[in-house]
Parts: sequence; structure tokens; C-alpha cells
Amino acid sequence: MSHFDQMASSTAGAEDPTWRSAARSGAFDAFTNGSMPTQDEEIWRYIDLDFSMDDYRPAEPGLIDLGGDPLKDVLSDPVTVLLSNGEYEGEDRTVDGLSVMSLRRALVESPSVAESVLSRAGVSAEEDLFKAAAAAFGGGGVLVHAGRNIVAPSVVSIDARSGGGGAASFPSIVLVAEEHAELSVVVHLRSTPGDDTLVIPQFSILVGDGARISLSVVQNFDYRARSIGSLRAVVGADATFRFGEIGLGGRLARLHLDVDLEGRGSSANIVGAYFGEQQQILDYRYFMRHIGTNTRSDMFLKGAVEDEARSVFTGMIRIEETGQKTEAFQTNRNLILSEGASAQSVPNLEILANDVRCGHGSTVGPLDADQRYYLMSRGLDPETADRLQMRGFFEEALQMLPHPELAEPTRAWINRKYETAQAEGRV
Amino acid sequence: MPNALEISNLTASIGDLQILKGIDLAVPFGEVHALMGPNGSGKSTLTNALMGHDAYDTSGSALVGGVEVMGLPVHERARVGLFEAFQYPTEVAGVSLRDLITEMIEVAPDPAAASERTTQASGLLEMERFMDRAVNVGLSGGEKKRSEMFQLAVAAPKAAILDEIDSGLDIDAVREVAELVEALRDPTFGVLVITHYSRILRYMNVDRIHVMVDGRIIESGGPEIAERLESEGYASVR
Ligand SMILES: Nc1ncnc2c1ncn2[C@@H]1O[C@H](COP(=O)(O)OP(=O)(O)O)[C@@H](O)[C@H]1O
Ligand SMILES: [Mg+2]
Repeated sequence: MSHFDQMASSTAGAEDPTWRSAARSGAFDAFTNGSMPTQDEEIWRYIDLDFSMDDYRPAEPGLIDLGGDPLKDVLSDPVTVLLSNGEYEGEDRTVDGLSVMSLRRALVESPSVAESVLSRAGVSAEEDLFKAAAAAFGGGGVLVHAGRNIVAPSVVSIDARSGGGGAASFPSIVLVAEEHAELSVVVHLRSTPGDDTLVIPQFSILVGDGARISLSVVQNFDYRARSIGSLRAVVGADATFRFGEIGLGGRLARLHLDVDLEGRGSSANIVGAYFGEQQQILDYRYFMRHIGTNTRSDMFLKGAVEDEARSVFTGMIRIEETGQKTEAFQTNRNLILSEGASAQSVPNLEILANDVRCGHGSTVGPLDADQRYYLMSRGLDPETADRLQMRGFFEEALQMLPHPELAEPTRAWINRKYETAQAEGRV
Repeated sequence: MPNALEISNLTASIGDLQILKGIDLAVPFGEVHALMGPNGSGKSTLTNALMGHDAYDTSGSALVGGVEVMGLPVHERARVGLFEAFQYPTEVAGVSLRDLITEMIEVAPDPAAASERTTQASGLLEMERFMDRAVNVGLSGGEKKRSEMFQLAVAAPKAAILDEIDSGLDIDAVREVAELVEALRDPTFGVLVITHYSRILRYMNVDRIHVMVDGRIIESGGPEIAERLESEGYASVR
């Protein structure tokens, strides 16, 4: 029996303003008529979804206790936000024109901002069952907003916690930088150790003309959690979107990213570093659409998998007829650290304009034997040599993160995962 | 007193291809020897077979300071006191020379002494500006060789093989490398300098020269061999 019924949808939407009600009931219909995606759909290829929504129920309200957010400590003087199973905890705040508020309240109190971002960069319930579920049963989250010409004085650090065995949560993170504004946001996705919890995070991002948003997401879910996330960003003229994702946790963790470079001269820098251990599945579907002329994008992801972990990167650069004088690059490099591990790396280009510069590179392979030999010839044992090489492999991506402060903790997390795999004889 | 390096009846093959056909060669402590031979004669194979590269099937013996190294894994040969300066030093992306040196110091028999050598050699070779760059990435030929010599100084091995340490260098860099080797000459250390040109030998006092052709040492003798090879080529010894 499904816990995701009409009643659950109504409860989730109890605070909706009337202008949102139709969207929610439409999403509910899409959810009830929808079915679990299968590998027949290109965008779900390579992974098996070995669960059903019936295995979960909407998370109960209440504070998830996970201790302090370690990422907050590496950022200088951040404005902090806590989301607990998607629900905004604490007061709304405005600091020098940067406003941080509960998404539920924002829908009521700032309807024009909320409506414009959700209509343009909101997740479409029609796309799949999980997006429909989020629109029908979610609603909690945060709106971070920088008005015209506002340069946010500090980074916003969002600690997004989930938890509860069998609980599903739908944290929604909405970022808006109006014309010539600047925003910097770090999101730490975490979940309670041992809990089989389903998290469907959604990022909706509007980068106004001449504006800049830098967003880093550190995905640090517990190994028992599943996460099916999506991100949609719409980038205006001469605006820049920088995004970095660090994929560490989750037995299944997926991120579907859609960036629309809409405005003339807009650009996007997308970086990723992921490390899959044991039976983890890390799944990235990144779509970059060049709509405006003179747009530029760069995607750069490095990943490693050990034991029986699997990773997927499918990257699509689509350049519309209008996207003349575009430059678009895409690189995905993967290390296979154990025989049973695998990585799919599928770069795609779809080019409808004729005056463009594009490039893509993709590699999947083991640690380099020449490097190991060289390092061992200096007296390093093979474990140390491999550890050094593995660290070096990620360094290039870590150097490109939108928030350099995250490089050090990320390095430590990745190294710890690798060293555990070494100690347990899996690599 | 054992030799720094003593190789006896060493063979190396890859599959059916025998490359080294029984090498005997000894470098006493305190001496600098040269190994010369045309391209493809097996000089790098000798180096890598001694260091323990897994491409080769080997037989025979190699003693470093009297300790047998054949059969040991690569890093243990290094710890016994064998050092290879690579003909083509491998790039290790994302790993700084400082990180590598730190690990080398950690595994040294006397880390404090290794750390002291690092400070000295880094000053002498002006390595500080390379310390935070990735190992061998984007370095010129000369800079790579200098980095190899620096690592040699940190490792303080009993025996070192410098594979084509002069290749790809201009004449000033060749002289510099030669002087470095001379400066390293020490009663606790023996060196085998591999080259296929005699050019570098003009700037150093080698004690002995060994000539390798087709996987065999066909002649060993004093420095006069280099002069003959320079005027007459390898044809004269075949
Ligand atoms: N890994 C290898 N695979 C196949 N052949 C090799 C390999 N290493 C060396 N050889 C062969 O062995 C011979 C000696 O090579 P090498 O030791 O590099 O010579 P040198 O250093 O004197 O120029 C050459 O014919 C070379 O092609
Ligand atoms: Mg050679």
C-alpha cells in the first residue's frame, strides 16, 4: 500500500498559496499515473532501480540530529541554514540585501520571486516519477535571494539533513541572483547513519543578467541512503554559473543536471569529483544547453570506483541554432580501482549551430603502472604509491571547485575511503 | 668489502625475446663507471631489470652493497640502496614533488638525516621553486634530470644507475649534470652512468667504461675507450 496518497499530498500542501495548488494536484496525478523508470529510457540506462516508492513514506516532521556541520567550519563567517528532512528550521534572515528564508513562507510572502524562479527553473513533474513525487509531496526548503546589484557579503552554508528508516524527504533549494547580483552557496547533504532513507533534492537556480552564482554540493549521505536529485539552472546574459559536486555517499546517488545558457555571453563551469565504494552507484546525467550566442561551458568530472561500485556519467552538450560562437568542453575521467567495479562514461554532442568550438574527452582505466613503478623506485611501498597516485588523480578537479575551502575536507574524505578500501583488501 | 653494485650472469627477456644475455659488471664503492652502447643494446633494460620492473623475466644475481636484490619488489630494492634515475622520468599528475619527497623521507632508514639532505640538496640544486609543482609535469628535459638528481641526493643510495642522464640536454646542462655526479662521488656510494654518447664523459672522471652491444658487455676498460668510441663508433668494438 502506498503512503503517497491524496491525503499525504494535501498535508504537504497545507500551506500552499492558491497559485501553487494546481501545480501540486497536477503533480499528484502525474505521480499516481506514473511508474518507476526503466533502463529502456536512455536517461535511466545503466542503472537498476531495485526499490519502489511503496518502500517509503513521507518523512515525519522533527529535527534530525547529526551534530554540527563540519563544512560550516571551513567557510569564513557563513550565513547558516538548516534543513531537516527538507523543512526549514529557524528564522528567516536578511543580511545586507541577501535574504534567506523558508521556501514555504517565500511562496506566500514573496510570490513574485518564487513564481518566477519556479516557473523558469522549477523541476517539471512531468519528467519522471521522482520529480512528480517531489512536486506532489514536497514543499519544504529554502529560498536564497540576492536582489539587483547585491553582492552577498557571505557564503550561505546549507546543512541539509535527512533521516528516518523508510522516510522520504524532498528538500528544495532555490537560488536567485537578480541582475548583477552575486551569490555563493555550499550545500552539505547528509543523512542519519544506518537509515534507509530516500532523499529527492531539487535545486532551482536563476542567474540574472550579469549575475554570478557559485554553488557547491557535498553529497555525504550515509551508505544506506538513496538519493535522486535534480538541478535546473537558467543563466542570463553575461551571467556565470559555477557548480561543483562532490559525490561520496549513498547506495544510490543520482544527480540530473540541466543548465540552460539562455542569455548572450552566459557561461557555466561544472566540476565534479566522486568516489564510489563497495556497492555504491553514483549516477550523473548532465545536460548543458547553449541557447544564447557567445556562450561558454566547461564540464570537468573525475571519479573513482572500487570493489563493486558503479558510476555513470552521461554528459550532453546541446548547441541550439541560436548558439553561435559557442565554446563547450566536457571531460570525464574515471579510475577503476578493483576488478568488480565499473564506470560508464558517455559524452554526447548535439550541435545545431555551425560556428562553434567543442571538445570532449572521456577515459576509464586503472591506476597507471608506470607511475606506480616510478614511485616504488623511490622506496614507496605499492600501497603508498597507489594512494599518492589516487590523490593526485583527484587534485585537478579539487583545484577547480567553486569553493576552494572545500578542497581540503574533500581530499580527506576521499583519502579515507580509499585507505579503508586498502585496509580491507578491496583495492 | 662488498661492491656498491655487483651483477653476475644477469639475463632478462620478454616472452621469447632475450634482451640481456648474461651481464657481469661490478662498481666498487667510491667509483663512477660508465655503461655505453648503441641504441637498443639493452642499457635501459639492464636498469629496469635491476630495479625490478615486472615486464622482464630475469635470472642471475645483483648485489647492492652485498645484499641480493633480484626477487625483491621494487620498493625493497630501493630501500636496500639502489636508485634509478630514469631516462624518461614519469609524470605524476597532481602529486607535488614535496609530497613525494615527504614520503621518501618517511621511508628512509634515518628520516632526520634524509630531511637534512633534502634541505641541502634543495638549496644546492635550487629546487624550491619545483617543490609545489607536480612531479615531472611540464618540466623541461634539463629540469627533469635535475629533479632526478635531487631525489638521488635525498635517497642517498649505495648504488645509482643514471640512465641517459645526458640525453636531450644542451651542452651547459650536460656539464652541470656531470659536475653533480662528480660532487656526489663518495666512499659509501657507487655510480653507473649510462650514455650512448661520450660527450658527458669529457666533464667527469670515470674510473671504468663498459661497452654493451646486443645484450652483452663486450669490453671493459679505462677512459681511453670513450675516445676510441668517439672517433671510430661502436663498429670498432663489434
Ligand atoms: N618492454 C619492452 N617490450 C618489448 N621490447 C623491449 C622492451 N624493452 C626493451 N625492449 C627491446 O629490447 C632492446 C633493448 O632496449 P633498451 O634496453 O631500451 O635499449 P637501450 O636503452 O640500450 O637503448 C630493444 O630491441 C627494445 O626494443
Ligand atoms: Mg635506453
